[in-house]
Amino acid sequence: MLEIKDLRASVAGQDILKGLNLSVKAGEVHAIMGPNGSGKSTLTNVLSGRDGYEITGGQALFDGRDVSELDPEQRAHAGMFLAFQYPVEIPGVSNLEFLKASLEATRKAQGKEPWDAVTLLKKARETCKQVDLDPQFLKRGVNEGFSGGEKKRNEIMQMLLLEPRLALLDETDSGLDIDALQVVARGVNSLRSPDRAIVLVTHYQRLLDYIVPDHVHVLAGGRILKSGGKELALELEQKGYGWLTDQEDVPA
Amino acid sequence: MTDAVTSTAQRAAARPAPVAEPLAHKLAAQALSLAEQAAAQSDALSAWRQAALAQLAALPFPSKKTEQWKYTSLMALDAGHLTAQAPDQAPSQTLPEPLAPWRLVLINGRYHAELSQLPPQGVTLTRLDGSAEAPLEAPLSVAEDGLRTPFAWLNSAALQDGLLLTVADGVALDAPIEVLLLGSAEAASHCHTRLRLQLGAGSRATLIERYIGQGPVLTNAVTELVTGDNSDLVHYRLQAEAADTLHIGSLILVPGRDSRATSFQLMQGNALRRNDVRVLMAHSGASASLNGIFVGRGNTHTDNQICIEHRVPHAVSDQLFKGMAGDKARLVFNGRIHIFAGAKGTNAELSNKNLLLSPGAEVDTKPELEIYNDDVKCSHGTTCGQLDAQALFYLRSRGIAEPEAKRMLAFGFVNELLAALPDAAVAEWARPWLESALTEAAQA
Repeated sequence: MLEIKDLRASVAGQDILKGLNLSVKAGEVHAIMGPNGSGKSTLTNVLSGRDGYEITGGQALFDGRDVSELDPEQRAHAGMFLAFQYPVEIPGVSNLEFLKASLEATRKAQGKEPWDAVTLLKKARETCKQVDLDPQFLKRGVNEGFSGGEKKRNEIMQMLLLEPRLALLDETDSGLDIDALQVVARGVNSLRSPDRAIVLVTHYQRLLDYIVPDHVHVLAGGRILKSGGKELALELEQKGYGWLTDQEDVPA
Repeated sequence: MTDAVTSTAQRAAARPAPVAEPLAHKLAAQALSLAEQAAAQSDALSAWRQAALAQLAALPFPSKKTEQWKYTSLMALDAGHLTAQAPDQAPSQTLPEPLAPWRLVLINGRYHAELSQLPPQGVTLTRLDGSAEAPLEAPLSVAEDGLRTPFAWLNSAALQDGLLLTVADGVALDAPIEVLLLGSAEAASHCHTRLRLQLGAGSRATLIERYIGQGPVLTNAVTELVTGDNSDLVHYRLQAEAADTLHIGSLILVPGRDSRATSFQLMQGNALRRNDVRVLMAHSGASASLNGIFVGRGNTHTDNQICIEHRVPHAVSDQLFKGMAGDKARLVFNGRIHIFAGAKGTNAELSNKNLLLSPGAEVDTKPELEIYNDDVKCSHGTTCGQLDAQALFYLRSRGIAEPEAKRMLAFGFVNELLAALPDAAVAEWARPWLESALTEAAQA
């Protein structure tokens, strides 16, 4: 589903990703861990098409299509979803209006049946419940005045409604208390299916107690240094990243 | 951010002595000629016209050197708008659906009774067309002291028709009165529109002024709103003319003692749009709330000059104006708050926020405070920015195409004003209006 080959990317002229390889197949959950500044967020930003992130080499293929040729909205239409590390506040645009526009455009592009206003409201309310958000939030401005946890749950709500085939979660667990973490994990787990893939970017092993990954990768210095199963996350939790990044100092 | 606190002395020093430029000289001569012709008529409006003519003759005509006209050129009027009157005619188009059960229609400044539905009992309609038996007093103690622009004086001096609506004491209207002002001409010409609303003590009314039309017609509009003690006024000034029209408007609001007045001005730019708004807080306990949305499109020009004078203690005013400029449009905003000595306990707020929708657009905004009293609360702020790139990306990443995402953000920018519109009919009108204004603004 997602094939990343020797991906190199820079931000403001600074090389961040330096030859990253990753292969994600349908049905899999991957966790990408790594120290601060290793390029984790750059990876999700490049994949979702944020301005200012320039691909300088290699490529990322989603269903065989080079993502760099797609606008951010086209990536969403193709079935990609990024849960933001810092969801943006948009005062004056209500959550419901936003969901309506998003779902209308995405479902249309995907050839799915459009939802009428009643269906949309019903689904949105149900999904609110699923992620433990008061449906009153639908009337408020997008993320406006939401707490950190509410913003993250709002991301998960959007994800559940949009039903992406590839979900990228950028440190969705950071700043969450244990209850909110479980809510987020339940949401993500409910999305797991043989035809979907999930990539979790995280600092902490904690999230992986609730969302058990098939593969764990360590990203440092803009490359995947080590890949393994879920036990790798536990090893990182005990040993930190030092033992891996120290090895990296030896020229590969 | 532009902040300015200007004293009278500084202002006087900064203002260059008016020098008549060739264009200003020419336009002044045309205006005077119009006024003199009208003054030769002898009817109920004679005294009114004569007084205005004297003022017009004494006032310098605006030129680029006039501080208040610094950003607005009258070059467009060089085409001779002031030399020809827009035709007195039946409507050239199907009139839009009314926004209120009572609608009065003016076409090129002339009242058309056959197209109008008279307001109910308790509201008196007087035509300002000179037909009254007794001479009409040059209005208002505020007139001399009210609108001070040459165009407002020209409006009075050349007055042929207009409407005076008087709401009797204690009358509470349960629906708005709409005045539809259609300006339309094939060739460069002008019309004067005149509207005055007087609210009696303890009365309540909503007035919708809606300007529509097309063609190279200059509408020189004057609206006067004088409200009684403890009255409630909601006022809308909807300026939705086509981009090829010209509009110079003057609005004065004088709220009565312990009264409440709320005004919404929604406008899109045209070949020339200039609005001078003057609010006189001359009665204690009065509150005035001024709100506006301005959308600049194409090559249009929109200049809003707002002045609130707090002359007496314990009056409250707030202003929230939001502008959006697309394409090569220009928006000018000057918001002045003048707090007189002795006007203690004044509370005055001013906010003007602007959004540039395209690299070719321009916004000039300036708050101006003159405060001669310590015991006041006064705040002001102006901002000018672009669409938030983070928000735009967020929307796009959820599958919303860029043009739609921009439209949503623009709506979001003014949503607090749209949501505050008290009348459902106007709120329903405003959304599609804004939609089409933004669509035009987005065209580069």
